[in-house]
Amino acid sequence: MSISRTIISREEKIFNIVNILIMLLILTLTIYPFLNVLAISFNESSDTVKGGITIFPRKFTIENYKVIFTYNNLVSGFINSVLRTIVGTLTSLIACSMVAYTLGRKHYIFRKQVSLFLVITMYVSGGLIPFFLLVRDLHLMNSFLVYILPGMVGAFNIIIIRSFMENLPEELYESAYIDGANEFTVFLKIIIPLSTPVLATIALFVAVGQWNNWFDTYLFNGSDPSLTTLMFELMKVLQSTQRAGADAVRTASQQLKVSQVSPESVKMAITIVTIVPILLVYPFLQKYFVSGMTIGAVKG
Amino acid sequence: MLEKKSLKTGNIKNQSTQIVLSAMALPFLILVLVFNYIPIWGWITAFQSYRLGHSFLDQEWVGLKWFIELSKDQRFFNALINTLGMSFMQLVVNFTFPIIFAILLNELRFLPFKKIVQTVSYLPHFVSWVVVAGMVYMMTSTDGGLLNNILVLLGFEPVQFMANPDYFWFIVTISDLWKEMGWNAIIFLAAITSIDPQIYEAAKVDGAGKFRQIVHVTLPGISHVIVVLLILSIGNIISIGFEKQFLLGNSIVLERSEVIDLYALGAGINQGRFSYGTAIGMFKSLVSLILLFSANNIFKKSTDQSVF
Amino acid sequence: MKKIISLFLITILSIAFVNANGKQEVSSEGVTTVTIFSYDPIQTWNNMDDEIGKVITEKTGVKLQYEFAIGDAEQRTALIAASGIYPDLISPKSVSASMISQGALLDLTNLINEHAPNMKKMLGDQMKRLRYSADNKAIYFIPTYSVLNKVDFDTDAWFKLQLGALKESNYPAIKTLKDYEQVISDYVKKHPTTKDGLPTIGLSLLADDWRYVISVTNPSFWATGAHDDGEWFIDPETFKAKEHYFRPEAKEYFRWLNHMNDIGLLDIESFTQKYDQYLSKIASGRVVGLIDANWEIGDAINSLKAEGKYEQMYGRFPAVLEKGMKAKYNQSVGFDGGWGVAITKEAKDPVKLIKFFDYLASEEGQILINWGIEGKHWEMKDGKRVFTEEAKAARNSDMNKFAKEVGVGNYNNISLRYGDGVKDSTGNYFTTTNPENIKEGYTEEELAALDAYGVDYWGDLIPPATDFPIKKWGAAWNIPISEDSILKQHWDIEQNIVRRRITELIWGNPADFDKGYDAFLTELDKATSPMASEMTALIKNRIRLWNE
Repeated sequence: MSISRTIISREEKIFNIVNILIMLLILTLTIYPFLNVLAISFNESSDTVKGGITIFPRKFTIENYKVIFTYNNLVSGFINSVLRTIVGTLTSLIACSMVAYTLGRKHYIFRKQVSLFLVITMYVSGGLIPFFLLVRDLHLMNSFLVYILPGMVGAFNIIIIRSFMENLPEELYESAYIDGANEFTVFLKIIIPLSTPVLATIALFVAVGQWNNWFDTYLFNGSDPSLTTLMFELMKVLQSTQRAGADAVRTASQQLKVSQVSPESVKMAITIVTIVPILLVYPFLQKYFVSGMTIGAVKG
Repeated sequence: MLEKKSLKTGNIKNQSTQIVLSAMALPFLILVLVFNYIPIWGWITAFQSYRLGHSFLDQEWVGLKWFIELSKDQRFFNALINTLGMSFMQLVVNFTFPIIFAILLNELRFLPFKKIVQTVSYLPHFVSWVVVAGMVYMMTSTDGGLLNNILVLLGFEPVQFMANPDYFWFIVTISDLWKEMGWNAIIFLAAITSIDPQIYEAAKVDGAGKFRQIVHVTLPGISHVIVVLLILSIGNIISIGFEKQFLLGNSIVLERSEVIDLYALGAGINQGRFSYGTAIGMFKSLVSLILLFSANNIFKKSTDQSVF
Repeated sequence: MKKIISLFLITILSIAFVNANGKQEVSSEGVTTVTIFSYDPIQTWNNMDDEIGKVITEKTGVKLQYEFAIGDAEQRTALIAASGIYPDLISPKSVSASMISQGALLDLTNLINEHAPNMKKMLGDQMKRLRYSADNKAIYFIPTYSVLNKVDFDTDAWFKLQLGALKESNYPAIKTLKDYEQVISDYVKKHPTTKDGLPTIGLSLLADDWRYVISVTNPSFWATGAHDDGEWFIDPETFKAKEHYFRPEAKEYFRWLNHMNDIGLLDIESFTQKYDQYLSKIASGRVVGLIDANWEIGDAINSLKAEGKYEQMYGRFPAVLEKGMKAKYNQSVGFDGGWGVAITKEAKDPVKLIKFFDYLASEEGQILINWGIEGKHWEMKDGKRVFTEEAKAARNSDMNKFAKEVGVGNYNNISLRYGDGVKDSTGNYFTTTNPENIKEGYTEEELAALDAYGVDYWGDLIPPATDFPIKKWGAAWNIPISEDSILKQHWDIEQNIVRRRITELIWGNPADFDKGYDAFLTELDKATSPMASEMTALIKNRIRLWNE
């Protein structure tokens, strides 16, 4: 007994050391792009052109950020982005988890048909124009609802949640039925609390998708400044600076200080501006899938 | 009538259960019907010569013209091969590295370190491909690029990585791994977290070491997620997107870099060839569904796991 | 759970709030809000709250509410046509055919004739060039992408050499590609590495995506006495259109690039580098020769200037393949009409809109949008129009801020306008770019070089416009094509072949060049010859339209 213990612990020790080394390597590799973008975003763009910036700015400046914040509509864009992210994520989570639950019930008779009905949508699309015309005909153009409704029920998310729920022990249901609970109560009181890791994961996917999506704004709400999102406005900033770059050269010979920043630098600053909110919110979700959930605790 | 019949054959509880379950799903299925199924009428345009802004009834019918054109297009077949090749490599890589990473990450005992590694690893996901492609080019440059500096240091000749068409698929796959590994691992991490800790305890009592715990507890514990994701991904093998190939490509590797999604973009809205673009879309859907059903059946028979 | 539900309710309420606040109504004292969609963005657009915008609204009663295409502009514009939901005004650039076939755009001919004396005055006999096509002679667009009566000064020439290298060779005349090559090879031989110890690069090309045509293939026009017609070469006698690669001279140009590669003067990364890598090489001062447009290398040049590396900045030469060829940079396409703003069927008061455009086209309007408000932004000094001291200071400290607050440049995209070098009734330039202020931008090193070449501007080295006839068909690339034309695929199909083949040819063994080039032409001909015939027909139609 005691011999086998020591063997395990030696094996574990080696494993842990190797593991930490591998993780450090991954850490270095994956933090580089972010640090590089961060460094360039704080570097003078006339210096950035020369290349060779790695993880520290060579000539520090906040000019690149200043340029972004001279644009209109950023505040309302931010509010709309936050709103669509919160509403979109909550509604989508409710929808997906409810559908997933029904599909996860082994005795549900339409289980297979509904799964198929959903999964097909992942591979079949009528194309942009029919979708665009549909949204127009539903009078969802220039409305907030276009951020919420079309993407609310995601087949992929449903299938993932379902496969987690299916994996929960069957006894959970049995004991609940004996207590006289109906399906909805089981769903709400037992399955949802046990599914937090997958729900947190899907929430993250949906929230990031909502936060980063500028395409639906561009398609449907671009002409209404009260509905545009942050990501859309930042795309506008980027496009404008790129355009200005071309203009700047035309007037460069007049020795005017047209613009102190290049589109490249603005692009980096925009990247940081969009990542930071995600980074700030992330830890709240992370705790649900980094530290283990104990089914035993709930069961017992 | 129906109610009475089931009252006789089944039990009441089961029937009401069916109703509750259906009621929970139905409102959302209607949304899917509206937003995902109605637009499929657009497929009709694949048999027309569609002109913008005119009703689809008011279009010229051309039969299978676009499909015939497609079947004769050498460039399309080249793009198809590139798509399948890169997709397959990506599939293999995306189902090994993120899983291994998630497992190893889960084994870290020091929680703050674990959280930091996990957070950092998914950061590149948010850096756009334009920026990442730029970094890849910088690193592989023969003009002071990091990789070539290392090669020279080790006594090798510098290599023009981006100028060799044979390397291109590997470069895309590795770049994708770099950018997406941490992000792709999140779902596996969540799956691992859902494994009942008691099973580990039991395995430990049986004297299982780290490695055996991983093979006998962790992997089986997340196999359902792996299989489901794998089936869904196999169905998606033909839809690879085009951004990374486009941005990492150059005129030398053009023959290996063009994928269907890029080809379709060129053929679609931007050239006013909507009908041709739709025909490509239909072809893709068809291939996807065939792959999906095949994968689903194979896994159903061999592992008893499936999507539907 | 309770927390989640309350959060949900809050957000629902806030949506209702946002939506209620969203709809804005503007209609005070005869001011009409006019919606406009534009393919291209205006960087400093300020919702007409800039000083110039306020004056325009006051004079015309029009306030524009802009939407710009973001991302894929072609797609966004096509979707407007697909949906049939139009703003009052639209600037759709190349995506106009389906809008016209739907009848979404108004014919402006009568509106201009009846309500736009200033536009008519500005256009003169060029008005017939506004007509859409030989089959459809309506006027749909007020051209905003081409300007009237532009006088060229200091035109950019593609072949660029570092001033330091020129100086070392005692400023030799750069007439042919041989002269150009000589300076590079002499310099690289003498200085294999730069002061920083990095290898000197002889000639670097840029082949990143669409920039391929700017730096790799278009120069074959300039170096062989032809004028840029997109990918086309139009025979000036027969008006037959063919891709310019079919010209024997073009083949010789690419043979020269192959030769440059063969003797090791061409940067081996020319076909793999990305735009930012290319710029960083130039900014490091290591590249002796470039074949590129100034507007493409501006960021790098600004960096060289900021670092004081004046000798690593470039002189620009109209080098040609053989003596006797004349570089046609300055050849005039005339006023080519083409892309611009259209009034759609949605517009409630087209007359008011045409009057709005007419105001912008008046002398008062032109001076206003270029210079700002008299007394505030500009004044007359000894009969010359100059910026006020205040405006000058504001321009110099931050041009963007100035443009945004004052609105200078914001109305170019929607106005018919005069080109640089045109003078108004007081004998002053309409635009703010003119020969005097260009000269102020030259560095001492540049002036020394210019002096050695005996000219005032780099552009003076280029044969003047008067040496060439005006192109009868304008520019081939902005002839409107119908929505189902095979020409819509031309760019995609042709570029796929060109970029593959030309790259191979330049990289390849000189001994295989002829064979490879023939194979390239065969492939190109097979893929695109019906398109060339269609292009020829379009060119002929346009010449007919413009000359009847």
